[in-house]
Amino acid sequence: MATQVAKRTDRNLDKKDYCIVPPVDIYETDNEYVLKVDMPGVPKENIEITFNNNELEINGKIDEVYTSSDNLTYREFTLCNYNRKFLVSDKINVEGITASLENGVLTVTLPKREEAKPKKIEIKAE
Amino acid sequence: MFTTYDLLDDVLTLRDMVDRFFDEASTTRRRVDFPYVNVYEKDDDIVIRAIAPGVSSSDVNVQLADNTLTIEMNRKEDYADKPYLRKEREFGSYKKSIKLPYYVDPDKVEASMNNGILTIKLTKHESVKPRKITIN
Repeated sequence: MATQVAKRTDRNLDKKDYCIVPPVDIYETDNEYVLKVDMPGVPKENIEITFNNNELEINGKIDEVYTSSDNLTYREFTLCNYNRKFLVSDKINVEGITASLENGVLTVTLPKREEAKPKKIEIKAE
Repeated sequence: MFTTYDLLDDVLTLRDMVDRFFDEASTTRRRVDFPYVNVYEKDDDIVIRAIAPGVSSSDVNVQLADNTLTIEMNRKEDYADKPYLRKEREFGSYKKSIKLPYYVDPDKVEASMNNGILTIKLTKHESVKPRKITIN
């Protein structure tokens, strides 16, 4: 996680090209895909998740308290706005996408469509 | 002294550059341990911020002893035994000690967790603040 966070040393936060690509874990269950994104320093209301043309985009605007370098005497990290895009397959039920934020970790749940869920195939007796 | 151009000189320069890169690597690239901290100082106050996404406040242990602040945290994996498609985040236990520049008041330490960032506020102890000495 930290390499991404530490890598950014630029202070020009207004430009869109200066942003952190947050580290993400993705896992799959029978019914859904779950994304876990590390976004420390972003309050809930500053997160924007959009789904457009099979592209899931996550934008997080960092709380300005954490970007100021006033009185800074020792630095190991620099925080910045977060941005990351994911290409999502057609198997997702777009209406059912939910997201939650806890302790700086964003969880996005992408439920699978009915037809994409695993089915048990019955074996007919002859 | 005049020297003629020698192709080998350029090759040796290049070799020197590569050598220098590896020789100096350990000193120029500093290794930093998680959790990453920033220290802010103003007058008699110190503010320490540490990055701690996914760590709940019950898993953080902040200790002040002998002018050294120790931050300990345990980041638990938030999913278990599920087939993952991508794994980029780090988990585990982390510990970091920070030597403070002056003696701080142990009763006035404030620590808070907000959106995955740990903030610790410390104040200089009264006994080390400058005081005026009256002359008899």
